[in-house]
This record gives sequence, C-alpha cells and structure tokens, in this order.
Amino acid sequence: MGSGSETPGSAPSGEHARDGSRKPGPRSAPEHTDAFGAGLARLPSQARIWRRRALIVVLRVARLVRTGVDRIFPGIRYLLRSLQRRWRRSLQFRTVLTTLLLSISSFAIVGAYLSNQIANNLFQERLTQAESETRYNVKQVQDTFDGAQVTDQSSVITLVYDTLNAVEGRGSVIQRRYVFEAMPEQTKPRNRWVESRASDQLTISVIPPDLRKAVQDSGKEQFWASTEFPVGTEDRPGIAVGNKVTFNGTVYELYLIYDLNTAQQTLNEIQNVLWAGGAALILMIGAIAWYVTRNVVSPVSHAAVVSEKLAAGQLQERMVVKGEDEMARLGASFNHMAASLQEQITQLATLSQMQQRFVSDVSHELRTPLTTVRMAAEVLYDARDDFDPINKRSAELLYNQVERFQSLLADLLEISRFDAGVAMLDAEATDIVQLISHVMEGAAPVAEEYGSEMLLNAPEGSVVVEMDSRRIDRILRNLILNALEHGEGRPVNISVASTADAVAVTVRDHGIGMSPAEAARVFDRFWRADPARARTTGGSGLGLSIATEDTKLHNGWLQAWGNTGVGSSFRLTLPLKQGGTITKSPLPLEPADVALGSPGDHSVLVLGPGAAAVPKDPAAGDPDAVDSAPAGGPDSGAAPATDAEPAAAARAGTPEAARTGKQS
Amino acid sequence: MKARILVVDDDEALAEMIGIVLRNDGFEPVFCADGGQALDVFRSSKPDLVLLDLMLPGTDGIEVCRQIRSESDVPIVMLTAKSDTSDVVRGLESGADDYVPKPFKPAELVARVRARLRPGDQKAPETLRIADITIDVAGHLVSRGDERISLTPLEFDLLVALARKPWQVFTRELLLEQVWGYRHAADTRLVNVHVQRLRSKIERDPEAPEVVMTVRGVGYKAGS
Repeated sequence: MGSGSETPGSAPSGEHARDGSRKPGPRSAPEHTDAFGAGLARLPSQARIWRRRALIVVLRVARLVRTGVDRIFPGIRYLLRSLQRRWRRSLQFRTVLTTLLLSISSFAIVGAYLSNQIANNLFQERLTQAESETRYNVKQVQDTFDGAQVTDQSSVITLVYDTLNAVEGRGSVIQRRYVFEAMPEQTKPRNRWVESRASDQLTISVIPPDLRKAVQDSGKEQFWASTEFPVGTEDRPGIAVGNKVTFNGTVYELYLIYDLNTAQQTLNEIQNVLWAGGAALILMIGAIAWYVTRNVVSPVSHAAVVSEKLAAGQLQERMVVKGEDEMARLGASFNHMAASLQEQITQLATLSQMQQRFVSDVSHELRTPLTTVRMAAEVLYDARDDFDPINKRSAELLYNQVERFQSLLADLLEISRFDAGVAMLDAEATDIVQLISHVMEGAAPVAEEYGSEMLLNAPEGSVVVEMDSRRIDRILRNLILNALEHGEGRPVNISVASTADAVAVTVRDHGIGMSPAEAARVFDRFWRADPARARTTGGSGLGLSIATEDTKLHNGWLQAWGNTGVGSSFRLTLPLKQGGTITKSPLPLEPADVALGSPGDHSVLVLGPGAAAVPKDPAAGDPDAVDSAPAGGPDSGAAPATDAEPAAAARAGTPEAARTGKQS
Repeated sequence: MKARILVVDDDEALAEMIGIVLRNDGFEPVFCADGGQALDVFRSSKPDLVLLDLMLPGTDGIEVCRQIRSESDVPIVMLTAKSDTSDVVRGLESGADDYVPKPFKPAELVARVRARLRPGDQKAPETLRIADITIDVAGHLVSRGDERISLTPLEFDLLVALARKPWQVFTRELLLEQVWGYRHAADTRLVNVHVQRLRSKIERDPEAPEVVMTVRGVGYKAGS
C-alpha cells in the first residue's frame, strides 16, 4: 500500500516534457497485456542464482587465466611473435586482418546509431501512448470525482479507491500504475478523508521530485518524466505522467506510471539480432576478404615460390599462365625471363663441361706420349756414360727438361681442375704432425743438398685435423721446399700450434726474404720475385697458386710474410673440422723473433748454418700475444701486421698487400 | 724363370717402351692393344701380372679388370692417365691391386711390378686368428669356422699384416709400406679401397666391422 510520505531525491530525475494541450485521450484506451507477466514472479530468484553462478565461473576463469598466463607466458609470447611474423610476411593475413578490424569498427558505429534510433522511437511511441492514456484516465477520474456524492467517510474512501483501481485497467495484467497524493501546503478541509493512495508496492518516492514540483506548480497541465519503480524484487524502467485532480475541495496529484519493460525487451531483442547479424556479417566479410586476397595473392606467392626455386637452381621451373589479366602478363614475362636465364646458364654449364672434358682429354692425350718420352729419356740417361760427350750432354738435357715439362704439365692440369671447379675435397681425420714429419722426411735429401737444417716445433702428441691429406701434404711439401730453396742454407723452422677449432703451421726461413710487396704477390700464378734470378729448382711457378687453391678447398688461410734480408714466413691455418670457420690463427704470421726486437737488430740478423738454435720459435712464446686477425681473406695472401711496430708498417699499393713490421 | 707380364695398352709407342724397360729388367712382356681381346690374350698367355691401361678402345680397362679378376687372382696394376679420384677409386674397386699414374718413371713402374710379384716370404707354418677368422699363412687359407673365404693375394697380405700384430694400430702409410711396398707415402685411397673390399669378404656385417677395425684419425687394427 502506498504511503503519503514523500522522499525526494530517491528516484532518478527524468526529463520533463511540457504538454500544454489538455485534449481528452482517445476513448478506447489501448489494453496492453504482457504475455510473460506470469513468469515475472519466478525471475528474481532465478536471477540471483544465475548471478552467483556467473560470479563463481568468473572467479574460476580469472584464476585459471592467471596461472595459465604464468605457466604459458613463453607460449603466448611465441604466439604473439608468430602472429607478428605472419603480419610481416603474409600479405593475405595482413589484408584480412585489416579488413576485419575496419569492418568491426564500422559495424560498431552503425550498430550503435541504429540501436539508439530504435530505442528513441520505441520510447517516443510509448510516451505518446502514455500521455494520451493519461489524459483520458485523468479526465475519467475527475469526472467520477465531480459527480460523486460526498456523504460519509467510508463511502468516500470506497469511491476513491474504486475509481483509482479502475485506472489500473481491467484484466489480470496491470496496464498502468498510479500514485495519488494530496498536494502539500493547502488548507485541510474537515471532510478530507483520503490523504494518499498508490498501486501495490509504490510510494510517492518513485516520482521524481522535479516532476512533482512541475505538477504542483502548474495549473491543470500534464507532465512526464522517466523513472524506475519496483515490481516484485526488480526495478523496472517506466514513464511517470502526472496531473492534478480535485476532489471534495482538495487538490490531489495523480501520477500514472507506465511500464517500459516490454519496450526494453523489444529493444534487447533487436539489439541481440543486430549483434548476431553483425557477427555473421563480419565473419562473411572476413571470408570474402580471405577469398579475394587469396585470388590476388596466390598468383603472387606462386611467382615467389617459382622464383625461389629458380634461384635455387631448378631452372626448368615455370609459372602457370592463365587468362589475359595482369597476373598472366606477369607470368608470361617471368617465364620469358626464366627461359633466357636457363639458356644462358645452360650455355655456361655446357662451356664449363666442355672445358672440363678438354682438360681431361688433354690430360690423357698428353700424358701417354709424355710417359713414352720420359721412359725413353731415362733409358738414354741411364746409358749416357756410353755416349760421346755431345750425346751425353744431350741425353742429360733431354732427361732434365722432360722432368720439368712433366711437372709443369702436372701443375697446369691441377690448376685447370681447380678452375673448372671439379676439385673435390677428400677429407679424413688425420694427424697433421705425423703428416709434417713425413713431408720433412721426404724433403731431407733436398735439405742436405742446401745444407739447411729443418727444425720442427710441435705440441706433444697428435693434432688430428679433418683434411684431405694428399692436398695438405702437397701444400706443406711446397712450403718446405720453397723455404729450403730460398733459405740460403740457414735453418728452416716449422711450427705447429692448435686451438679448439683451428690448427696453424708456419714455415719460416732465414734467407734472402722478400719485400712486403713481393709477399703480397707471391701467390700469383707464374709470379717470380726476381725475374732475373736463376731458377735453381725449376719449379713451375704454380706451386703456391695450387697451394692457395688447396687451402681454399679446406676453408683455410694461407698467408705470407716477408722481409728482405731477414727471411720469410708462410702460415697455413686450417679448421680442425670441415665446415668450421677460423676466427683467429693459433700462430702469429710474423715470426716472434722479428716482432719482438727492434728493427735495427733484424736488418743485420745473420744466422750461420750452425746457429740453428738462435731464432726463437714463435710457438715457444705466447702466440696470442702478437697475433692479429687477418685483414685479407685466406686467399688474398695478405700478411696482417702485428701490433709490434704499427708506425713503421709499410703498406704496398694493393689492398691485399702484405704489411710487415718494418720497411725494407 | 722370367715372370711373364701382360701389357694391355692401345698406345703402341708406350707399349713398346714399356716392353723395352721390362725386358731390360728381366721380365717377359706380352702385349695386347685392344680391350675386347684382353681376356683371350690373358687366358692364352697366363701372365704373372697384368699392366692395364684404364682407357682402352672397345672394352674399357675397368671392365677388363673385372673380367680378369672374376677368374684369376693374378696381380693387376693399372696404368692411368687420369688422377681424378673417381677414376682411380673405380679402378681399384673393380679389382686392381695397385696403380701407376702416367707419366711414370721406368724405375717406378718396375718397382711396382716387383712389389706385386714379390714371392711371399718363405712362410713358416703359422696360424693366426682375428676375431672368429682363422688364417693359415703357409697354406694361404682363410676361414670362418668351416667356411672358406677366398681372398686375393693382396687382400691376404693385408689381413696377415694386421693379424700378425693385433696390438698395433697400422697407419695407412705403414700399410702402404708393408703391403704394397711403397717407401714414401703414396695414395692412401689404395688402403681405403682395399680395406673395404677385404671387409666385404670377411666381415659378417661390413657396416659394423669386427675383424678390421678403424681407429679414427690413425688407421686400422685387427679386431680382438
């Protein structure tokens, strides 16, 4: 039951619409019957249960997410990174994602606008209806009150209550609720028996104070405001329309309250439909974007795949050309390009094959007669003592020159094999120290001839290197024989040192040496330090070039250092394992005995054949102390200077020139 | 008695020159210039050793080598103008015992021929064992249990060299010296190819050898 007390401020303030017209409403008041009115009573308890369940679910999910995030944080980071990568690398992914984001935001804007418009329209419609119904009902009430016989208290109360109850409408469903209240601050006549009256559960407090004030202050005008009122345990939105009625000399405020619940539900349903439609639309837009971009992107990625294959050497790859559009034009010109590329490369490959076959044929065709000539020369040479001096000398010359011719041919064929790219590495783990000992044994007769001593400084035990021992043997034999040849009878030092990933061998002589400029060119084919110099051992001039190529096959470095009058040093650095790379050689290129003293000493450094022990071995000192990373590649033949005497470092004109500690 | 040597080479000048050198050193050369006839000449002349050029008209040297090897253990030394790995290895795999790359010195050729003709040292009756293999050195017999295993003389020498010193690891260079008679390091592929051929005959599973073991980075040794 309603009470007369007024609690201002408790109801939400609504907006007011002033409606000056006091036309009576249509005779036939619309009779809204809420079909679901019966279910309303059960809703509050169900809602409470559902709210609690939802809360539990939310809490559980939150805990799960927190532990999950802790545990799978790396996973999430990986996911994010892979998304980022896809964003960077996939045009299609980027386009589809952008399309989706743009359509979601535009749909949100359109959806908000539509939903707002619909809500307004629904409200306006209900408001118009409420106002006209109120006008009609207020008139009815006033008419009833005007024609009433005021006799005793109980009949008056009955009359007022019946009249007001009639306002609520016929049937089981309440069409509108009312609040009936005597206006405050008026003289109270003796027979004012009714103070206030309201529909079930309502009090005057549901009426916004602003509306009350407007109704109280005006004459017989109608005002409205939005409000909320309790039904059962829930608050429902509604429209309150207020006016005044007079009864028995007392002015009453009469407010009729219309339920907006149906409108709200309609709005909710419309919004749900909008959401569902929007989601479906967005999915479809995504699918369409995916399909369209796939149509555009797939030829492009096909082109990318094909060109990658082409680049990888599958020259017969071609693009599929369909239709006459831009993609087809791209495909056609791409195929044209690929065809001409293939032609060029095939031509080159054919040339290279011809070159290889030529080398192979020359090899065979030349070697067979050369073998005959050589054997014949040797037979003659062996019998030379039976000849007269002229024939004897001829036989000797023939024998020697055939030897020289043979070694020249062998070197030429070897070089051309490198040039043709058919040289293969036959690597196997072998002890390099043992190999060096073998080479030294082989070179012993030559050393004896020159009166030089060969000194090996190697770590105890073995140094196992993955290498083609035939090639390394050839390199080292070449270096040692060179050192003996140019060593002027002074000792030749051979040093070995290794680190975890590389091994270095230096061959150092103390002979005439060479200038830095010469050291830079020493690996060039047919290059001779001094063209006028007599060829004592009659080398082909290709030995060091072949050594360079052999080193290259091993991914190693071969470098030369030289100083006129002091001697020269060659350093071979190899990775311990094939496929490994060298970052730093275990031995310094510049011999430690040169690097550590003053330049003056070195220029006069003279070592007799007996002074074998004088040169300090580089391996004996700390190799790291004077080493430096090579400036050039392994094949440049450049000799990086140590830090010992940078100021005096002489640079030759070419970038790959050797640098040494002093100018000669 | 002079050892008879069949020289199979299509280059007449070279064949003649080889003949001169061989005769000079006390061998009796027999010639054949065509690969297709090599097997017939081999059968009719019954040489003690074959010098075989790898490149021949008609049937090529590798095929000739295979034919001869299929019916005889006679030592075969290849003469090759190609020193490319694949050719040498193919020649060795087809059954040749050794090779001499062109151009060679007469002394080199004679040394190789002598090394392969070297009459086995007066072998005392001796029985060696590696793993489950029994070697009767004097009888030139190799067997696993009752099963006889047929080896060429070179493979036999290789196996005996390893079996005599089961405690020693043989480097390839040492084997070249002991089995092939090289004084200085030669092509170690000779050893690799022949070890593979030996394994294919005597090992139960050549992929997991038990008789001839590899010592990584050093060489080979007899299995225990």
